[in-house]
Amino acid sequence: MTESSAPASPTPAGEPPTPFAAAEASVAAGAPVIAGSPAAAGFPAGGPVSALEPWPDTVEWRPVSRSLITVELINRASWVVVLLAGCTAGWVLTEFWAWPAAMAAVLIFAVWRSIVTVRAVKAWGYAERDNDLLVRHGLVIRRLSIVPYARMQFVDVTAGPLERAFHLATVQLHTASAASDAKIPGLPPDEAARLRDRLTALGEDRAEGL
Amino acid sequence: MTAAEQPVGAEPRKRLHPLSPLLNGAKSIAVIVAALSWQTLSQVGLERFALVVGVLAVAVVIFSVVGWLNTGYHVVGRELRIQDGLLWRRNRAIPLDRLQAVELRRPLLAQLTGLAELRLEVVGGSKTEAPLAYLTVREAAALRERLLALAGRTPGSDPAAAGPAAAAPALERPLFRVSNRDLLISQLLTPQAFLLPIGVAFVVMQFVLEGSWTFVGIASTVTAMAGVVLQPARRVLQDWDFRLARDPDGRLAVRYGLVETRSQIVPLHRVQSIGVTWPLLWRVQRWLHLRLDIAGYAGPQSGDGKRSDRLLPVGAFEAGRLLVWEVLPGVDLATLATVPPPSRARWLHPFTFRTMGIGMTPEVFVARSGLLTREMTLVPYARLQSVRVIQGPIQRLLGLASVYADTAGGRSGVAEDRDLHEAWWLAEQLSGRARAARGPAPLRTATIADPHTRPVPGAGAPGDVSALPAGDASAESAPPAGSDPSLGAAGTGVTSTGSAPPAGSGPSLGAAGSPTEAAGPFAEAADAPTEAANPPASSPAEAASPPTGAASPPTGAASPPAEAADAPARAANAPTISPAEAASPPTGAADAPAGAAGSRDGEPGDGDGDDAFWRRPRETLS
Repeated sequence: MTESSAPASPTPAGEPPTPFAAAEASVAAGAPVIAGSPAAAGFPAGGPVSALEPWPDTVEWRPVSRSLITVELINRASWVVVLLAGCTAGWVLTEFWAWPAAMAAVLIFAVWRSIVTVRAVKAWGYAERDNDLLVRHGLVIRRLSIVPYARMQFVDVTAGPLERAFHLATVQLHTASAASDAKIPGLPPDEAARLRDRLTALGEDRAEGL
Repeated sequence: MTAAEQPVGAEPRKRLHPLSPLLNGAKSIAVIVAALSWQTLSQVGLERFALVVGVLAVAVVIFSVVGWLNTGYHVVGRELRIQDGLLWRRNRAIPLDRLQAVELRRPLLAQLTGLAELRLEVVGGSKTEAPLAYLTVREAAALRERLLALAGRTPGSDPAAAGPAAAAPALERPLFRVSNRDLLISQLLTPQAFLLPIGVAFVVMQFVLEGSWTFVGIASTVTAMAGVVLQPARRVLQDWDFRLARDPDGRLAVRYGLVETRSQIVPLHRVQSIGVTWPLLWRVQRWLHLRLDIAGYAGPQSGDGKRSDRLLPVGAFEAGRLLVWEVLPGVDLATLATVPPPSRARWLHPFTFRTMGIGMTPEVFVARSGLLTREMTLVPYARLQSVRVIQGPIQRLLGLASVYADTAGGRSGVAEDRDLHEAWWLAEQLSGRARAARGPAPLRTATIADPHTRPVPGAGAPGDVSALPAGDASAESAPPAGSDPSLGAAGTGVTSTGSAPPAGSGPSLGAAGSPTEAAGPFAEAADAPTEAANPPASSPAEAASPPTGAASPPTGAASPPAEAADAPARAANAPTISPAEAASPPTGAADAPAGAAGSRDGEPGDGDGDDAFWRRPRETLS
């Protein structure tokens, strides 16, 4: 289409056999990805496999509090109770066979979700690296967010009544992009405060919002 | 409100132009008439209708006048303060260092009366913050210049940095103009334009069959159709006489519109990403559309017509290439090679698989997709806000994952369905490159550890300096090498080979030195203050003496070949030059672009290791 394609077409003879080799070369030369980390080298070789465990050698993941499981389960249980009560009322009033079926479905769903919740909370983790905050979560849909401290706009620390009862808090890091998704629930208050202060300090230190 | 409340030394509050209430009133009256609709007209008769409209008009004008009396603005320090509101008084302070873009709009009535509306885009606003409607054109232009000058200055920077720019003759350098003929044809080549005859036929059929030829019936049908189907016509009116220019300070000036003219000024470092679109029907003409994502403009949900995000409403590939180069120096649309996802991603994208791909150049992350309407997103690393890796259940079965490069502009660059290993690698690369492009320099606080990396006034843009810490000295010298291919191309006419050097190739690139016929459109690009001016400033040796480093590109711009050779592969990861720097007031290096670029032709260190990776099954756009 353009004339430029004419001299282009290098498809160079000197091209390495695989892309991976090239990448490896660059890494070997010291990609400044994470200072002194073999992390990037993980890609070419048989590096991380799990979607939740990237760069296992360099990143020290911190779990969220196990009490979050209880909080989530209570949260879920309250919904289940409400739904079951509704179904029971419907059954008493109409005596239609679908009501008990619905109740059974709700129960089965609740049990399944509870199991998932337990695993999901265990899967939730965060890591503070030199320049960015990593947050991973999700089991069915696995998500990992890498948010540089420099991009921080503000930090939210929230705690609902149930969370407060179990001494938990949620820290959320906001950037100028609405899509950024760095939320860490289930932190003990002192850890939440520490994280908040650290994030704020680092954010101020390297601030470059946009 | 009163003088007593104002801080000492603040300038007095200014009113908007006295004609503003009339103009605003006229707008409201149009809305009211539209709301009353044809139906009402038929029911109440013309006289009453006119009476109702008249009464409402008077009420609206009175309301507007009172509102006008209560509206005022003034600049205090680095803030623009605006008071308005009648019942709910609002008193807003807009910090000007958060200013993203300024737009001057002149609707038809304003054009007739010589007035203009000034709109400021600020981050975080879901809608345009503070439209100042209306000012005289002269006033608005002066205020805009003033706001932009205030916005461009960071507190830490030397006022002298702004000096040369202010002293420079206020001449804009025109970049591009979209021919109205192309614009017309392009809008005829849209689905709506094709549907228009069908719609008309349908309406006519209906009337013929039903035989109800009432004026109101026809009028309301036509109005309804006009709203939906005449979008192409609206676009033509909006984008009429589309002109692009670089203003003396290197900002982008966009002007367009027929009935309502808009003139928008965007500092280049505020550009969050560029979207390139090839609509299906336009491909006949090999046309494309360029979109400019700026943080102030809300996400894609806001109405199409109101957004001012066009970089190029329609244009040939060469034009797009030129403009992309202007906005993101060093990025050549023709050489953006992309790598498709692994073939097992076909299960998820049976149709679009062929057009998917991602790529990384030293400056931007590239993602393309779309079957009918092909799209490509260019995200400069310096503008990355965060990186996300997401893996759904089906992707997990296939060992795939998607990587999102988020920007403040609302759109993310998405690498869909990459191999999991590659996704991790990509995420790491993106965040690493973003960090390098951002630079460690904390600009607001004065806690710069190393004096060598301190932003040098006059050399880099005051707002954005991408120097690495001193510990990374070899990488610091690398930007010339990393961006070299494209730079070499700048001086000599762009060649595809230039920006995609063979990885194994040793020291030099013959191709970069050979001019091609592409030199035409890009001769201008070479004039632009590209990053040629800047690498020297960020290399420790020259940082101390920026004037010489920047002013003598042949010596300054070319980093010592030996040094660059030390880190050939690092070049790939070297800090990329942010658009801001390129947009900075030319310091003199731009005066000798040919020399700067030419001296770099033979430079070693072109073999960016991982860029070679992206060339695997090389697919350029052309």
